[in-house]
Amino acid sequence: MLPNRSRLSVLIFLVPPLLLYAVAVLLPILQSLFLSFFQWDGVTDMQFVGLGNYIYMLTGDTVFWTAFLNTLGYLVICLILQLGGALLVASLLTMLRRGRELVKTLYLLPAVISTVAIAFLFQRIYSLEPAGLLNRGLELIGLGGLQTAWLSDVGTVLAAVSVPEGWRFTGLYMLIIYAALLAVPQELEEAAKLDGASWWQTFWRIKFPHIRPVWITTTIIATTYALRGFDIPYLLTNGGPGQASELLTTYMYKTAFTSTDYGYASTIAVFVVIECLVAVGLILLLLRRKADA
Amino acid sequence: MTTTMAPRRSAPRLSPQPPLRQHRRLNVHRTLTSIVVALIVVVQVYPLAWLFLTSVRTEQDFANGDPFGLPTGFTLENYSRAFSTGNLALNILNSFIVTSGAIVLIVVLGMMAAYALQVLGFRGSKFVRGLFLIGIVVPVQIALVPLFIDYAAVNLLDTYQSIIIPLAGFSLPMSIFLFSSFYEYIPRETYEAASLDGAGPYRIFAQITFPLSLNTIVTVVMVNSIFIWNDFIFANTFVLSDGLKTIPLGLQNYIGAMGKVDWTATFAAVCVSITPLLLAFLVLNKAMIYGLSSGGSKG
Amino acid sequence: MKTTRSRLAVAAAATALALGLTACGGSGGAVGNADSTNVDPAGEITPREISWLLSRPADGGVITAMEQIAKEYATDHPGFALNLITTPDRPSYIQKYQTLAAANKLPELFDTDATPYAQKLAKQGRMMDAEALLKSLDLYDDYRPAALNYQRFDDGSLYMVPFEFQLEFFWYNKALFEQAGVQIPATLDDIPAMCTQLREAGITPIALDGQDQWPLERYMAYHPFRTAGPSFVQDLKKGDAKLSDADGAAAVDWMSQLGSSGCFQEGFSSTGYSDAQNLFTSGKAAVYNIGTWELGSLATDALDAGVRDDVDYFTLPVTSGSATAANEYVSPSGIGMAVNTKTFDPLVRDFLAFALKRYPEVYAATGALSPTTNVETTIPANATPLYERAVQQANDVGETTAMPWDTQLDPTSNTRLQQELTLLVQGEVTPDEFISTMDGVIAQNGPAAFK
Repeated sequence: MLPNRSRLSVLIFLVPPLLLYAVAVLLPILQSLFLSFFQWDGVTDMQFVGLGNYIYMLTGDTVFWTAFLNTLGYLVICLILQLGGALLVASLLTMLRRGRELVKTLYLLPAVISTVAIAFLFQRIYSLEPAGLLNRGLELIGLGGLQTAWLSDVGTVLAAVSVPEGWRFTGLYMLIIYAALLAVPQELEEAAKLDGASWWQTFWRIKFPHIRPVWITTTIIATTYALRGFDIPYLLTNGGPGQASELLTTYMYKTAFTSTDYGYASTIAVFVVIECLVAVGLILLLLRRKADA
Repeated sequence: MTTTMAPRRSAPRLSPQPPLRQHRRLNVHRTLTSIVVALIVVVQVYPLAWLFLTSVRTEQDFANGDPFGLPTGFTLENYSRAFSTGNLALNILNSFIVTSGAIVLIVVLGMMAAYALQVLGFRGSKFVRGLFLIGIVVPVQIALVPLFIDYAAVNLLDTYQSIIIPLAGFSLPMSIFLFSSFYEYIPRETYEAASLDGAGPYRIFAQITFPLSLNTIVTVVMVNSIFIWNDFIFANTFVLSDGLKTIPLGLQNYIGAMGKVDWTATFAAVCVSITPLLLAFLVLNKAMIYGLSSGGSKG
Repeated sequence: MKTTRSRLAVAAAATALALGLTACGGSGGAVGNADSTNVDPAGEITPREISWLLSRPADGGVITAMEQIAKEYATDHPGFALNLITTPDRPSYIQKYQTLAAANKLPELFDTDATPYAQKLAKQGRMMDAEALLKSLDLYDDYRPAALNYQRFDDGSLYMVPFEFQLEFFWYNKALFEQAGVQIPATLDDIPAMCTQLREAGITPIALDGQDQWPLERYMAYHPFRTAGPSFVQDLKKGDAKLSDADGAAAVDWMSQLGSSGCFQEGFSSTGYSDAQNLFTSGKAAVYNIGTWELGSLATDALDAGVRDDVDYFTLPVTSGSATAANEYVSPSGIGMAVNTKTFDPLVRDFLAFALKRYPEVYAATGALSPTTNVETTIPANATPLYERAVQQANDVGETTAMPWDTQLDPTSNTRLQQELTLLVQGEVTPDEFISTMDGVIAQNGPAAFK
């Protein structure tokens, strides 16, 4: 704490951001929480249903549970691509002697393109009739038997909608991890090498523990973003075929704006918030404990 | 930790190798790395190239030709259609106003809050931090109906503010966390020395914290511009008049009857609309990459 | 901490109160001046700017025509302006319009289909009675009955004004039919066999835009419309009829056969509008089911020269013992325009009187079919003979129109139906599973929505 601070100075710095945040975020959240105890279509009078929405969500709504499981699958794929890919590319970069800046810049490019264009590109890539890039590639390497309409096949669609989302932002995470890797003191690495440690061992025993705090932050950001992922699945498949790529967010959006059931949609939103908080808690618990061990 | 390998045990495996061989292996390793990196770069750059190529294809070529091959002809017809159908210049201007408005709020308020939380400190700062955390985990879609009703009540609908406020509000927490994780690493002694010289909290903010935050500011600006520039959902909900439409709304002009989309014109418009962002991105790139890294590595 | 918490509770309570109040304000849409049947309010015509929230292509015929008409009106009425706010993407439009309705901020004119949601607005008196309005403007008899019927709610009431008239055909490629040795199907039940034969000849039978959902849902509507007539879906949506009934089960079975005969291109559920059309116009697919709004692409020289002379169309086949006639099929009049009761005044009436009278002529000149019968559609110079034939067909269409199910069912059941249909046609669920799922969902949501 700064010695010369006054109560007034704290307020001067804190109140404006808090005010904006309260108006733009907290107030609508409280309003949604309130709505989640009602049945309301926006047109007729609101009906108080108590915990009715919550009970139906947890016990009666099969689509909700499918969407929940899909969200977890989506999360896993996004995390593997974003964090795994980021870690891999970041470590490859540290080994590169030239062109690091260029590679970093190019790696970030997909993040700039609007989702509409990304969705359309991937629709083309996954297409079967006419054959898209992926199916042609398979044919080319002699795996023509694996060809399928990736976005229409209930077995592949979830992975197919997760990949673009995972791929888009992997550059951002890569940069963070790359910087952290660069910050690992050279002496530690040298010492390990002198001890005869392999590259892999140096990585796991020396580098990774050193970047763990950054890793935790990155994991939290990536997880909460993935749990709220919406655009790409909404644009690519709108949850289909069937409910095979329905996520909690797309389901919530449809409940609110297609079924005009604002109360129930708010209930799902409350669940998403709780789910995100639990996920953050779990990440902190798991990764911090490992750090202590 | 799960990786309990003992480095010493594998030592004999490595040491007998003659230096020459190791050197060669290193070279092979390097080449391999370069190839892998090159491949990855191709995957990352490809969509942008594809987007551009599609925007200069003829409609016929786009419809019947190979969507992944080189265009059979080159045409700027799509660009002229893109400009004549929509009001692209106005859309870009609006996006610019909204993005800069939101970014200024995000940066200034983010720094202020982080300064109060991290540097000044106060009782209950943990609670306030927790409040801000909620903003990171909330799905924005749910705020639409309440916000709309609130805006209607105070007559804010269909104004720049109605898009700027929620966009800034929802991005604020992330900005606060980036700033405060960075402030954490400004040594306390710097502040204490300044305090002894008689500097108050405002002077310290203006003379020490702010100048040191420049890198983080660049990071916050770039990351948020990407999201805000491409935002569709708030703009679609709160903007009604044509004069206020941002780029993502403008792209809707290329949708025809029953959902038939003029894709080549759309892509031409997308190419035009990402250019300002791309330019800013390339210019600020060096600063950004440095800023992002320093912000992150200290989080 | 304790004080913070109690403060939070107070804030929450205050919020709740605020939201509750606005919500009540929102529900009482008719509060204020007007009455939804008072179509000729007394008072001065004071020109001002009025807005129309619509979901139509930005450079399409309707908007171009209305812009021109508004300009004409403004020259006689200085100070008048028509502000057209269009959101062509339908899901985004619906979100916007429902949000506006919830906040009670709908503009003077707004687009809507005859959905259960719109019916709620009508019941609250928030939309002007369009039948009374058109009659009082002496325009009612100009309209094609089929065009008006498409806009009506089940009880026959009319709250939306149509701006288009379309016929939905099965476009087909004569050369591909010949190549595979197939004929135009005489009945709906011939279609699966036709598909098998086309598939055997290596031709994609039917191009389908599965991504937008409604095209596949049309097929679901066809069979019951023939076997049972338009009443089937009206009963089904309220839970009074079931898919497990004979007519329903036959339709489900037919859909499943379309899937197992490989009627649609592989991966149809992720094919978009343009891609599906391209399959047909590039001569890869033999049949394409679309309306006359595509005349410009299918019956002019904009069509690929390779297939231009081979393209023809047939209308919805019947079934044996069909309850509806061959000239009755899907003939939509597009999304309709509703008139907001709250803002209805002598100016809005006067403008509508001028615009609706003038509209058919201006619109028909663009080569489109007017929802009225008092004008001739101008055939564009680059049209193929098919254009004229399709336009003439409009005079022959019956009054009973096959309603698309997406405007009929309650939205929750509709969303689920669209999802389950894809699964049914892809063979992921059996007809029995489909029926039991859908009957369950409709029983849960339908009756409540149509109370």
